[in-house]
Amino acid sequence: MGRYILKRIGYMCITFYVVITLTFLSMKMLPGTPFQNPKLTPTQINQLKHYYGLDQPIAVQYVKYMWNLLHGDMGGSFQFGNESVTALLMNKFPVSLDLGLEAIILGAVIGLLLGIIAGLHHGKAMDWSTMIFAAIGTSIPSFIFAGVLQYFLGVYVRAFPVAGWNGPSYHFLPVVSLAVGVVAEIALFMRTEMVEVINQDYIVTAQAKGLSRFTVVYKHAIRNALIPVVTILGPLTAAIITGSLVIENIFGIPGIGSQYVSSIVTNDYPMIMGTTELYAGLFILSIFVVDILYGVIDPRIRVSGGQA
Amino acid sequence: MAVANQDITKEMFLPAEIDRTENERVSGEVVSVWKDAVRRFVQNKGALLSIFIVLLIVLLAVSVPYSHNYDPTHQDLNRSNLPPRVSALSWVPFLNGQEDGIDVYQQRGIKKDFWFGTDQLGRDLWSRTWEGTRISLIIAVIAALVDVLIGVTYGGISGYFGGLTDNILQRIMEIISGIPNLVWIILLILVMKPGLIPITIAITATSWISMSRIVRGSMMKLKNQEFVLASKSLGAGNARIVFKHLIPNSLGMIIVNTMFSIPAAIFFEAFLSFIGLGIRDPQASLGSLINSGYEVLQLHPYQTVYPGLLICLLLIAFNLIGNGLRDAFDPKLRH
Amino acid sequence: MSKLLEIKNLSVHFNLIGRHVQAVRGVDLDLNEGETLAIVGESGSGKSVTSKAIMGLIPNPPGEIVKGSSILFEGKDLVSYTEKQLEKVRGKEISMIFQDPMTALNPTMKIGKQIMEGLIKHQGMSKHDARNRAIELLKLVGIPKPEVRVDEYPHQFSGGMRQRVVIAIALACNPKVLIADEPTTALDVTIQAQILDLMRDLQKKTKTAIILITHDLGVVANMAQRVAVMYGGKVVETGMIDEIFYNPKHPYTWGLLSSMPKLHATTDKLLAIPGSPPDLANPPKGCPFAARCPYAMKVCTDHMPEYTELSSTQKAACWLLDERAPKVDPPETIGVGGTKNG
Repeated sequence: MGRYILKRIGYMCITFYVVITLTFLSMKMLPGTPFQNPKLTPTQINQLKHYYGLDQPIAVQYVKYMWNLLHGDMGGSFQFGNESVTALLMNKFPVSLDLGLEAIILGAVIGLLLGIIAGLHHGKAMDWSTMIFAAIGTSIPSFIFAGVLQYFLGVYVRAFPVAGWNGPSYHFLPVVSLAVGVVAEIALFMRTEMVEVINQDYIVTAQAKGLSRFTVVYKHAIRNALIPVVTILGPLTAAIITGSLVIENIFGIPGIGSQYVSSIVTNDYPMIMGTTELYAGLFILSIFVVDILYGVIDPRIRVSGGQA
Repeated sequence: MAVANQDITKEMFLPAEIDRTENERVSGEVVSVWKDAVRRFVQNKGALLSIFIVLLIVLLAVSVPYSHNYDPTHQDLNRSNLPPRVSALSWVPFLNGQEDGIDVYQQRGIKKDFWFGTDQLGRDLWSRTWEGTRISLIIAVIAALVDVLIGVTYGGISGYFGGLTDNILQRIMEIISGIPNLVWIILLILVMKPGLIPITIAITATSWISMSRIVRGSMMKLKNQEFVLASKSLGAGNARIVFKHLIPNSLGMIIVNTMFSIPAAIFFEAFLSFIGLGIRDPQASLGSLINSGYEVLQLHPYQTVYPGLLICLLLIAFNLIGNGLRDAFDPKLRH
Repeated sequence: MSKLLEIKNLSVHFNLIGRHVQAVRGVDLDLNEGETLAIVGESGSGKSVTSKAIMGLIPNPPGEIVKGSSILFEGKDLVSYTEKQLEKVRGKEISMIFQDPMTALNPTMKIGKQIMEGLIKHQGMSKHDARNRAIELLKLVGIPKPEVRVDEYPHQFSGGMRQRVVIAIALACNPKVLIADEPTTALDVTIQAQILDLMRDLQKKTKTAIILITHDLGVVANMAQRVAVMYGGKVVETGMIDEIFYNPKHPYTWGLLSSMPKLHATTDKLLAIPGSPPDLANPPKGCPFAARCPYAMKVCTDHMPEYTELSSTQKAACWLLDERAPKVDPPETIGVGGTKNG
């Protein structure tokens, strides 16, 4: 297990390094410049370039960037008067994390419940309705749900605030919009696992021991069905990040998602790089955690030394 | 079960002539994998309906932008933000050209009908919506085809040759897939500037990975099976084995995966429009239409409704077709 | 010997999509205390469904025990039991071991815990006591170092060892009846013998009655006192082991005996029974074996024969036993006995 974890950490570092380098290089290849203000004279632009170190050879800039990054310095934002990117991200990240976690937790709880119920009622009305919901939920993008919810519950019924992030009531619409996809994805996966597990011989063994239906389902079926569900947490994190970009924008939430979109529009290179690296880091970390977690909760992998 | 003894006559104890071939006959006709798959697919009502819906949408997307009287890019501020009106159906609440109880058409003295209304610049949304659908579909289909091309080649080489080649290709892929596709797509578009081709390239940049994984897996499984070994021992070359045996046998999975990459591409195109990296005005895509509709969602919700509805229909229909195909090709997976 | 279990007119049907399968059609069986009854027959003959019905483990839907069936355990009808009542019987009074030890154990639960579950449920033991009992049981079924292995997971055990664990689970609460559904089919031949020996030893110690379901007559000869031969969802012949092996009356039993490989065979050919079992979605009106029976008469296809009592312990359902039928000698190939009729 130890060796396996080390190997995974190695991969994680390489992937992260590649992301940083790619981000850096693509920023250097960008056709537009952040100094497009027509009032700026060429001398002023050159002064700005010198100030940000953009007149030096790319290799030098690269080494400098990496060195600073190692010290947690991602440079200054162009659009916010050279304010530290690190500080900006640190400032806005908790909001996005809050939104993402709430959506994942809500989605996982409802999704697992639906999946379990559907799986236990395989082939019946409850199963079919869950399947139909899941087909719709996984197909329709979160920004459509967001629009529908915002219009009906926010504008029309006025049950919830339309935009902002100032208290619990503000969380409802964006969290639900983001969670619908998660619910559908997890419900579908859990249902398939449940149906498969329920038909396993060891479920009959458990029944033959005289255990109650509840114990059989709870201790034998659900536990075994739950293990593979862990594997979709990685892709789900990616989906949540993607979704949060638009959801934060639609609901005017001051997180890194809406920040990212505005830095793309304003060519704020350091901010784009910082956010990209943060997202990549999150994703890589989530894949790593899922891998390790899977090894920890599945005894078959745990003991045989993690041949995942 | 009890038979009255008198019903049983002595003659009945003579040996019976029983046709034993009857017992050995295999019941049911023998069908090929493909015929079988088609038969199963046709039984799937949802998937059939989805095919019908997709065909209808494609037909409209191809024909409307050319046949309609309005140019999708023609602006006329006098007719900006008109709600939908279909004179023949004016008794339907949302097709009567009224907004907040006021007949906007009458107010502005406009005689023509705009079935889906108009946008802020007075462009006809009926033709823009279908034009947008066309662009979204083009992007999705090209992306799916490129997926097949790259994914099958990469996965095929990796799976067929195995060993060192496989090891190197897999390590590269592991790193590529370790980066969230969002990051790839955004970086690529930033470098290339938004447009139909860059968006397609960006979407394909990561989506081929799942295809290559599937193809590699099936190559590895198939290449050691007896019929392939038999072909090899008869002197068939690599190309022949790959194209005659391996690809035809993985075709089902390739088709299924292609079907799923179409809705994924439609989604990402729309997503990019949302973060300002999509198709630029005056061109339209479903994503860009929804995005500009959102700016006036509270005042003129109809501007979002039609493209929103279309994108939902397309995504659900393609996913259902994909599910139907998967079940048809691999009945084991059907639950 | 008193009757522990009495199955009367048991019918089990499955309502599948477009097919109504009559898997078991009016089976009568009984089991005495401490004895071993073997149920033999090929796949699809209804033997496994019968055993699941005794445990109350027929999934409903699609399965259904048809009205008029009864399964009397110590005089009480299990068919009328509610799920809650059945839970008190399963694992405690009647337990079961399964064919494939590789899949019969929960892969993510320690085997100790899997043994303890029943003990805690039925005997109200504390966790500590149950654990000690689990270790005792593992020792009883011949697992070395039980105090270590009790905390291991199924994948750390070999097939034979897993089957021992499955037996330990089944015997945990000293059941009166043990149903063994092809307990050795999935195991290596050498392991098979060990498991059978173990079951025989344990039966001597615990006095448990065993219903042994198998298609292997070798296993039957080793283990059972009585045999019931099933075909097409019906019991076609029952009798004491000697009666079935040395004086079988039903042509299907002859076929089974002939197809058994023998050490001192005069021919090196294995004799198969030609044809395949009847489709129970569409069961034949008469004797289910008629279509494959080399001695079939006209009466066989349309009329189901009644049982003919051949001794106090042996009976068979075959028209050949009717007085009007021609006299037929069993084929030489049944091997072990084959004495003449009467």
